Amino acid sequence: MAETSTAQQMLDQEMIARIGRRDQSAFSALYDRLSGPLYSLAMKMLGDPGEAQDALQDVFLQIWSRAATYDPEQSSVFSWTVLLTRSRVIDRLRARGRRSRVVVASTEDTLTGAADASTVESAADTVEKNDEAVRVRDVLNNLPSEQREAIELAFFEHLSHHEIAARLGQPLGTVKARIRRGLLKLRQRLKNL
Amino acid sequence: MISEEQQDQAALYALGLLDADEDAAFELELRTSAELRDLVRELREAGGDVALTAPSLLPPASLKQRIMGEIALETKRVVPMPTQRASFGWIPWAIAAALAVFCGLLALDRVRLERQLAQIRAVDPLMQTTFYTLAPSAPAPADAKATVAWQPGRQSGVIRISNLPAPQPGKDYQLWAVDAEHKDPISAGVVRVDKNGVAQIRFKPVEKAEHVKAFAISLEREGGVPKKEGPILLVGST
Repeated sequence: MAETSTAQQMLDQEMIARIGRRDQSAFSALYDRLSGPLYSLAMKMLGDPGEAQDALQDVFLQIWSRAATYDPEQSSVFSWTVLLTRSRVIDRLRARGRRSRVVVASTEDTLTGAADASTVESAADTVEKNDEAVRVRDVLNNLPSEQREAIELAFFEHLSHHEIAARLGQPLGTVKARIRRGLLKLRQRLKNL
Repeated sequence: MISEEQQDQAALYALGLLDADEDAAFELELRTSAELRDLVRELREAGGDVALTAPSLLPPASLKQRIMGEIALETKRVVPMPTQRASFGWIPWAIAAALAVFCGLLALDRVRLERQLAQIRAVDPLMQTTFYTLAPSAPAPADAKATVAWQPGRQSGVIRISNLPAPQPGKDYQLWAVDAEHKDPISAGVVRVDKNGVAQIRFKPVEKAEHVKAFAISLEREGGVPKKEGPILLVGST
């Protein structure tokens, strides 16, 4: 996470190392920290609570079995778990034989009305995480709209660059450049916050 | 210095949008450029940032119980080591039996780990690629080199060659897969370098190669040969 402190990243890495040594309490702590954002991602892509929960279960069982293979040189723990989640969700979307039913919602939306009240995060224990999300949404919303659109189509709907180019009626090179510029700008602006 | 095209590919790679061929080719580039690896890491972090913009939800508490139950069950499946018994004359036999049990457990554990590894390989594209570094042997120039990214599941790979001058007229370079289950190397086709001695080519061996020990490049008659005839110029294993 852009706003995740170095200390938090070190803590995450320590938790992963302990999980690699089969420490269930570390696993429980990491679940508490990451299940919300990862479930939110799975819900956004799959649009089905049952499937999102199954995907999340797969992801955490993968974390349990693969913690020893985590490489901090390649990504932060959070980004690694996001990669795992997208991978599992994409498998499910492929198995369904169709793309996500969920239209990429406006990034202004912070909570979905369709969500069960019991599943909506309690503000009290997630203030910090929501603050992070708000900051990222602000930055994403301030990207040029064509860059934001290309990133969201690629990230949440897992459209290929060819499919995005077809949908937007833009040349392939333009789409690639939008994704690249948008991601780099997003990262840079979050670093500067 | 990273070109704009490489940056574009890096962004698509970080989001998992490249197809299998592009993916393998880009991983070859990643191996040789620390700057590119840093960029991919940054872009992956940006991807993590994007994930945070999904509307915030929490999974039901029952899911955590379910997952914790699963891992507790798995932990219990690991049979504890036999405890030491009181010292009597039959202790050596008991130790031998314990060792036999322990060896059995190790064998079971190995099977379990192999199964886990297979599962990991099935879901992680990086784990499905094996890299081979090919070093020159006479008469190839000493600075000639090649790297192969091989995906056994797809039975295809990408080779990148550098510093290998074009062969004399009437000759071609040919790539071979040395497979443990085949007596002769399996042809993976002719590879042609450009005027700078560079090539990056996608290849597919003509026969199934499930246990590739090494890849090699030989100098052959123009158009290639079904069975290796010429001298090996580059060869290497994992």
